[in-house]
Amino acid sequence: MLKGHLDMIVLAALSSRPAHGYAVIEEIRRRSAGAFDLPEGTVYPVLHRLEQAGLLSGRWVTADSGRRRRVYEVTARGRRELTQQRAVWRQFSDAIGGVFRPRRKPA
Amino acid sequence: VITEYVERLARELDFEPSLSRRVRREVEDHLWEAVSADPSADRSEAERRAVSDFGDPRAIAAQFQAGSLAGRARRAGVSAVLLIGAVFAVMKARFTWYSLTQWPPVDRMRELAEVVVSVDRWAFWLAFVAGTACWLYIERIRVPAALGTEYRARLGRFVSLCSVATVALIASVVSDGVLTVLRLWEADWSVAFALPVLSMAVEIACAGLLVLHLLRIARPPAWTREESGGQ
Repeated sequence: MLKGHLDMIVLAALSSRPAHGYAVIEEIRRRSAGAFDLPEGTVYPVLHRLEQAGLLSGRWVTADSGRRRRVYEVTARGRRELTQQRAVWRQFSDAIGGVFRPRRKPA
Repeated sequence: VITEYVERLARELDFEPSLSRRVRREVEDHLWEAVSADPSADRSEAERRAVSDFGDPRAIAAQFQAGSLAGRARRAGVSAVLLIGAVFAVMKARFTWYSLTQWPPVDRMRELAEVVVSVDRWAFWLAFVAGTACWLYIERIRVPAALGTEYRARLGRFVSLCSVATVALIASVVSDGVLTVLRLWEADWSVAFALPVLSMAVEIACAGLLVLHLLRIARPPAWTREESGGQ
């Protein structure tokens, strides 16, 4: 189930500030309180796909360690997509909540 | 451990060298970052843990294949439109040149020339319509997370459209070649031959490039076909 929503999760994790792949994974772990402990390698194909779709933009920077790293940022198009996906998710979540809510027995 | 791992991952991504280089650099940074964040004092143990948490290189490479194929398809779609446009521009330039230099029209084999002109016109417009359609089609398809049967079917339709555009463009270029030979055949050799000959070379190069793009989509790396067979 998580796999189908990875694009949205990664976009959301990057929505507050630009970050590199490792930081994105850390952010997802933090926001999900450790519930989404993804195999780390799965995030990179998602980052590349989102960049290819124009939802993220990436640039190479030099880290304090002296290593080159790619930092990703959500584009304006990415923000629009995230807003849309959030609305769809809220609707879906409300619907599921309604279905799962126990029905009160008539008096 | 890390160097060995990133080299293996880079080899798995060999189907697209630029992607392979980029991912290798990104993943190497990621793994060293994971090692420095590891509380363990044993460095080699931390490296092994970082690599193990990252996942199987083959499985990761498989996740890149949909994006890679989609990228190739998009480049092919854009190239189809640009190359067909280039052939049109070159064709127009040649006709302008004939008119500027007052080149005499084809006299011998006039009937053959008329048939070829008609084939040329139809073939070119078919290439234009099919090329534009394949570009619009691929731009509308969203890249999936993995190569599923639905996406493969869509790519198959894209390849069919692109093949129609390519075959039609080749027919148009061959017709242009026949017409150019007929024109040059009747004239005396001069410097004025340079532009028609050069324009034909450009047309042939454009058609060749489109064939190359098509082959890159129609014949993806062998292991991507293996993966799809397992789905």
